[in-house]
Amino acid sequence: MHRRRWLLQLVLKALAHRKGRTVLLLAVLAMASSLATALGIVSYSMGKRVAEEVRKYGANLVVLPESARLDVGSGGLNFGVISEPAYLKQRDVEDALAKSGLKAERSFHLRGALHWKDADLMVEGVNFADIRRLFPWWQLKGSWPAAGETLVGLDLATRLKLRTGDTMELAGKGQTVRLRVSGIVSSGGEEDGLLFLSLPELQRALGLDGQATLVRLMVTAGGDSLKKSAAALQLLLPSAKVSEVRQTARTSEGLLAKVKLLMIMVTAVVLISAGSSVTGTMSTTVLERSKEIGLMKAMGGTRWEVMLIFCGEAALLGVLGGLAGYLLGSLVAQFITRTVFAASAEFIPWMAGISLGVSLFLALLGSLGPMVSVFKLDPVRSLRGE
Amino acid sequence: MLIRILKNSFLKRPKSVLLVFISITMGAAVATAFLGIAGEVSHKMALELRSYGANILLEPAALEGGGYLREADLPKIKTVFWKYNITGFNPYLFGVAEFSAGTRRERGVVSGTWFTKRLEVPGEESSVQGIKGIAPWWEVQGNWPAAADEAIIGAALARRLRVAVGSEVAAAIHGRTQRFRVCGIVTTGGFEEEQLFAPLVTVQELMEQQGKVSRVLVSALTVPMDDFGKKDPATMSKDEYEKWYCTAYVTSVAKNVEEVMGGSRAKPIWQIASAEGALLKKLNAVMIFLTVLALGASATAVSTSLMASMAERSREIALMKAVGADRFQISTIFIGETLIISLTGGFVGYLLGEQLSELISRTVFNSTIVSPLWLFPTAIASAFVVALAGSVAPLRRALLIEPVRVLKG
Repeated sequence: MHRRRWLLQLVLKALAHRKGRTVLLLAVLAMASSLATALGIVSYSMGKRVAEEVRKYGANLVVLPESARLDVGSGGLNFGVISEPAYLKQRDVEDALAKSGLKAERSFHLRGALHWKDADLMVEGVNFADIRRLFPWWQLKGSWPAAGETLVGLDLATRLKLRTGDTMELAGKGQTVRLRVSGIVSSGGEEDGLLFLSLPELQRALGLDGQATLVRLMVTAGGDSLKKSAAALQLLLPSAKVSEVRQTARTSEGLLAKVKLLMIMVTAVVLISAGSSVTGTMSTTVLERSKEIGLMKAMGGTRWEVMLIFCGEAALLGVLGGLAGYLLGSLVAQFITRTVFAASAEFIPWMAGISLGVSLFLALLGSLGPMVSVFKLDPVRSLRGE
Repeated sequence: MLIRILKNSFLKRPKSVLLVFISITMGAAVATAFLGIAGEVSHKMALELRSYGANILLEPAALEGGGYLREADLPKIKTVFWKYNITGFNPYLFGVAEFSAGTRRERGVVSGTWFTKRLEVPGEESSVQGIKGIAPWWEVQGNWPAAADEAIIGAALARRLRVAVGSEVAAAIHGRTQRFRVCGIVTTGGFEEEQLFAPLVTVQELMEQQGKVSRVLVSALTVPMDDFGKKDPATMSKDEYEKWYCTAYVTSVAKNVEEVMGGSRAKPIWQIASAEGALLKKLNAVMIFLTVLALGASATAVSTSLMASMAERSREIALMKAVGADRFQISTIFIGETLIISLTGGFVGYLLGEQLSELISRTVFNSTIVSPLWLFPTAIASAFVVALAGSVAPLRRALLIEPVRVLKG
């Protein structure tokens, strides 16, 4: 007990006696471990944030009636073969989604034709609230429609000479609706040739309550689980076809993998180089103390004891530096994610462990390495200053 | 005298010199690697994002569905102002056909296109255009068509027609019939699965529309839309219009392409274009932050290790002062040492950093990186400046040393 207290006192005195050196080492260790923390947190949350960003590319799964033709994709390459209409029950899809436990944003679409003047117009019923959230790429001139209002695709509007504020009367099988054009939408895709109104209104007009022709899902999934999710959902929906939109799904997976790999490489490069610098600094401070080691040995200290004293110092510095580094690193990571992604970084408690570990490892490595060579010195010679 | 002092100061304490050297080298390596890739990464990421598909659609200007574009105009896309931003393009010719295979009949879309077409444009480098480049997400089971009568069939259409790789499918349009050998089945999860893709020439013959295409998809590298880019070009003043035209917004690249394709109009495919802009902006911002962080860290590491190595030498300085050295002489010795270490450290660090950036770009993007030439002097100069900055404080302290007190111990 007495001996242990003596050791502790020795370590503390040694640290306090040379304040400049202690502060310098603490700063360096804190720098390295804060770098580790910041990079760790940023790369960890990068995956999630980028995954959120790539959702802006659109749905990754679509559900459509078994007999229907696949009719999704980006761009105007869709040649619009009119096939026999087939419908899905909204309820069935909701139930299946609830049962499968998938985390998925969904948007229901109902395609149909309504009669206007003497032509049939392709119309789509959607929930505008979902559209605003899940289809951020729609370029809208005018305002989002309220009840009794409609959006017109840019090409259709040009062709029919429709303007915001016009009213039109559309006749369907179920009932006739009077709609006011609240805005013109363009997306560069098939939306440009369609007329949009709210889903319940179109369902009433077509006499198709609770039906949809297409459900777009944005499933939050990582790795290969998207394929699995599709298969699981397919089992619950025997009357429908669940397919993975490869254009967005596969590309996003590839991109995410690349971003993660990039972050890991960058983190590794920075940590290794900062780590070796820090170890170097640590070693320099131990090397300069060969005289002290010589004195300790001359006074009868064993190698083990000398090592204990020096390791104690290093460990104390390491722990303090690690704690400071964790706090600083979290702040930096918070700042980066706040500025770039406008979201607060996650609080990752186990990062504190990594931060401490990095700092302790560097401190011990830096002081143990040179100590081995110092031990080889003859105490007499090192005391003489040779 | 000075040279002798410097030489011995390196030779007599190789360990301390080596440690400082390592930390300067590492600092310079990180700086080089980061400055080298920071610029490239945004370009590589932009290329990476292009695999989401084309972002510009060219279609005939006539509104009522009909009308065609001329195939002969296509090579002009490689000569426009923004030609280096256009990574690929691909024409399509659509027709509704009656397909028959065995006893099964089905109405569907036959689509003539390029798969991998070598395009030679006078005065430009030859390039390969086609579906393979523009739609990398296609999963083709079988082979890509090589002959004029080979075709790729969409998976959904194949299921309905009950055909497999190697079967024959006949397509009839307006009484003309063309037989295709199915050499691949494509799965995309989109409308491509409902179509038959055949070489453009064959479909043009089948539809009797020689030299015509109905759509062109263009994949272009663009800059994110900002407030200025969102303005309507029709309302811009002459200067503004020029600025808009010379910025690679997706709208201005589209306009640029539209001008060379007779009778066409170009539309940005916003689903792709808008998401890409947002994502790219964020990835770039992260990269900038990381570069700043890494540079800051390597600067601190280098200067602290110099401080540590200076601190141990107070005795030496005291002795120099005692034998009559003035401030200038002492500074010369120490700055000379720093200069030599940081120059060699900067040089080695540059070489190492180049390897590092090469390694990163090879593993992440599968491509090599060309470090800009200005990086070499920058690496060495920055190593020197950082090292000097790191030694100013300890040097100043060293100059204030009272020789007598230190020599007494």
